[in-house]
Amino acid sequence: MADDKDVLRDVWFGRIPTCFTLNPDEVTEREAEAYYLLLPRVSYLPVVTDKVKKHFLKVMRAEDVEEMWFEYEGTPLKWHYPIGVLFDLHASNTVLPWNITVHFKNFPDQDLLHCPSNSIVEAHFMSSIKEADALKHKSQVVNDMQKKDHKQLWMGLQNDKFDQFWAMNRKLMEYPTEDGGFRYIPFRIYQTLSDRPFIQKLFRPVSPDCNAHTLGDLLKEMYPDALTNDGERKRYQVLIHGIEPLLETPLQWLSEHLSHPDNFLHICVVPVPTD
Amino acid sequence: MAERRADCSWKRHISDQLKLRDRVQRHTFEEIVQQYNRLLEKSDLQAVLTERYQTEKYDVQRGHEASSLDASRSDSLHQEMSQMRIRHQEELTELHKKRGELAQTVIELNNQIQQKDREIQSNEARMLEYQQQIASLEGDCRDLRNSLQELEMANQTLKDEYDALQITFSALEEKLRKTSEDNQELVSRWMAEKALEANRLNAENEKDTRRRQAKLQKDLADAAKEPLPIEQDDDIEVLAEDGGKGAGETSPNRPISRTASRKTSQQPQGGLLDSISNIFGRRSANSFSTSPETTEPPSGGCAEVRVPTTALHVFEAHDGEVNTVRFSPGSRLLATGGMDRRVKLWEVVAGRCEAKGALTGSNAGITSIDFDSAGSYLLAASNDFASRIWTMDDYRLRHTLTGHSGKVLSARFLLDNARIVSGSYDRTLKLWDLRSKVCMKTVFAGSSCNDIVCTEQCVMSGHFDKKVRFWDIRAESIVREMELLGRVTSLDLNHDRSELLTCSRDDVLQIIDLRSNAVRQTFSAQGFKCGADWTRVTFSPDGSYVAGGSADGALYVWNVLTGKLDRTLDRNHSSAINSVSWSPSGTYVASVEKGSRAILWSDM
Repeated sequence: MADDKDVLRDVWFGRIPTCFTLNPDEVTEREAEAYYLLLPRVSYLPVVTDKVKKHFLKVMRAEDVEEMWFEYEGTPLKWHYPIGVLFDLHASNTVLPWNITVHFKNFPDQDLLHCPSNSIVEAHFMSSIKEADALKHKSQVVNDMQKKDHKQLWMGLQNDKFDQFWAMNRKLMEYPTEDGGFRYIPFRIYQTLSDRPFIQKLFRPVSPDCNAHTLGDLLKEMYPDALTNDGERKRYQVLIHGIEPLLETPLQWLSEHLSHPDNFLHICVVPVPTD
Repeated sequence: MAERRADCSWKRHISDQLKLRDRVQRHTFEEIVQQYNRLLEKSDLQAVLTERYQTEKYDVQRGHEASSLDASRSDSLHQEMSQMRIRHQEELTELHKKRGELAQTVIELNNQIQQKDREIQSNEARMLEYQQQIASLEGDCRDLRNSLQELEMANQTLKDEYDALQITFSALEEKLRKTSEDNQELVSRWMAEKALEANRLNAENEKDTRRRQAKLQKDLADAAKEPLPIEQDDDIEVLAEDGGKGAGETSPNRPISRTASRKTSQQPQGGLLDSISNIFGRRSANSFSTSPETTEPPSGGCAEVRVPTTALHVFEAHDGEVNTVRFSPGSRLLATGGMDRRVKLWEVVAGRCEAKGALTGSNAGITSIDFDSAGSYLLAASNDFASRIWTMDDYRLRHTLTGHSGKVLSARFLLDNARIVSGSYDRTLKLWDLRSKVCMKTVFAGSSCNDIVCTEQCVMSGHFDKKVRFWDIRAESIVREMELLGRVTSLDLNHDRSELLTCSRDDVLQIIDLRSNAVRQTFSAQGFKCGADWTRVTFSPDGSYVAGGSADGALYVWNVLTGKLDRTLDRNHSSAINSVSWSPSGTYVASVEKGSRAILWSDM
């Protein structure tokens, strides 16, 4: 349907206005201006922040530069999460632009992984795709694809090419019609205040009596606190790509259209802001 | 519809939310960020430029030492950038190369995979084929086994049938044997009865004739007692004392008239008796020979038999071998047959043979001659497989009887003169009917037939296989066989057909009594050797002598009564004697030899 294609395009081309500010503690030769950038929701920080690095390296001395890392309001930002997830999780209801602080020193080894090059990101991205396909098709589809197809997926993401990416990705979104959907839905539910990084469990898109499961069924199963019982005040927001889908949205459709490029449905559950 | 609407509602909600988000998060900031970045770039550039210009100013002020630094700084920037570009291009080309290589390996692997697929397919096809073959072979095997079973069953049934048939066959054989035995028994009994019957008839006949004879004698005695006027005649001939110098043939009437003039002597009386009884032609009177005391039992011949002592006439009869000789029943004619294909007729006149004529028509040598009982026909058997009949009046060939497939060695008239029996080298005897001139019967004798004689009921044939076969004319089958010790070359019957004379190659003549079927006498002599398979011997007309010619050219005469050799006449023939014939009158004996000579003998 044309609507679905539009949805896919909107999801792909989603942007977050970000303002990169250099950490004041960093030693600079001159004062560094903030760098504004529209970050793609679906990409990863190391991929899209070359310009940021270049910009800030102009004012830094080479010997002071170690691996660049970002943090927001004290929280180091994990580069292996998609940018949209980071934003929804940490700063969904804050004033835009998103202010990220750029650090070049004191890399927090406890909180972050090192990312020396883009190939690490590529490896992580491909691994996510494979994991997702393992859940969806028992890895058949991704294993049938050739190396160049995998490369195409990564290049599509890296170079922000919607058509190139989706030429390959649509294969991963296919399922045999008699099943009614994927084997299991690849999803992760992120919570703000929890020691668990995310919730990921096996969940079928179709119930045994051939009813399509909805987002509400998933939440009821996985994170029932997120749901609002009748009469109660809404406590949590369920965000996917920065929007709150209706709870009766079919899960299969969500997985097909609202997944990230790594084929996972990243769901952020954030508390409703109390202004 | 509700679903569609429900679908649409959440979908619409999502797309609305996305649009809202974009509007809030993106569109509001997009333009600003772009412009900001451009400004940033510009300011950077400005900063770089001002720095450069400042340094240039410094350089100009300070001199060339610093300029290189600044220049180098900006240069270094450019160099950096160009280096980066070069590196990027290198990376790009490398990546292109790698991509090419990878594509190549991909193609090769694809080819290999296709090959393997094809191999797999062909193997599977072959397996299918083999499986099909196996299935068809199994089917064939099953069929063969079934057919084998069926064949075995059929075989078994056939064997059973065969056994059953074998049993019935042996039973039937047994029955056949028994019935044939019974048949044999019955036939022999019947034959015995018939023989008894015949004997009885014979005895009766004998009695009858004896009675008649006695009566006749009595009558004659009575008649003789009556005085009769007799005239002295010049030509009164006493048969008893003279040897028949003149005519070889004595007419039966003359003795009666002649001897009627004599009254006293016993002998003329006997002669009268003899002559009278000669009319009836059956009873053999006392034969007159040089020994008058001989009272010989009645044997064949109506004449006074004279044992030959001298050769009256030696003459060349034929060009070539003379095979056979025969006197006519009237003793006037002599017929000889030879290898020159002719039958020559001689008239016996005064002790000499005058050539009377020759009968032609045969295509090969003559083997045997027979006159019919009237003397009007002459039958000659020939080597050209045929027998011929001429009339004696005009010497014309009347019939030719062909049909044998070998030389006809002997041909005889049957006693009714209407049929002829001929024996041939082709081991058959044929019976011919003269009226229709066709062969009525052919019997297979089993051996080449050398000579034939006939009685009223019986035909006797002598064969190469040493057997004499007796055939019943009416039944046309063998009655009896007698085996001798040598090949039978000649047969002759005595006057009353009670005895059979045989000559065989073991140089022995035998007389067989026909009623008892036993050899009565055997004659042999040192020096008598049978010259050929067709050497013919003969009885004297009264049956008291037998004569035969030997291979050394000597004529042997035996006395039947004594069984001893009576005479040997050996100085006249120069080669082996083929055939001997005694005239029915008893006066002459003719013999012919291999060397074309014929000799007429008598006792003068």
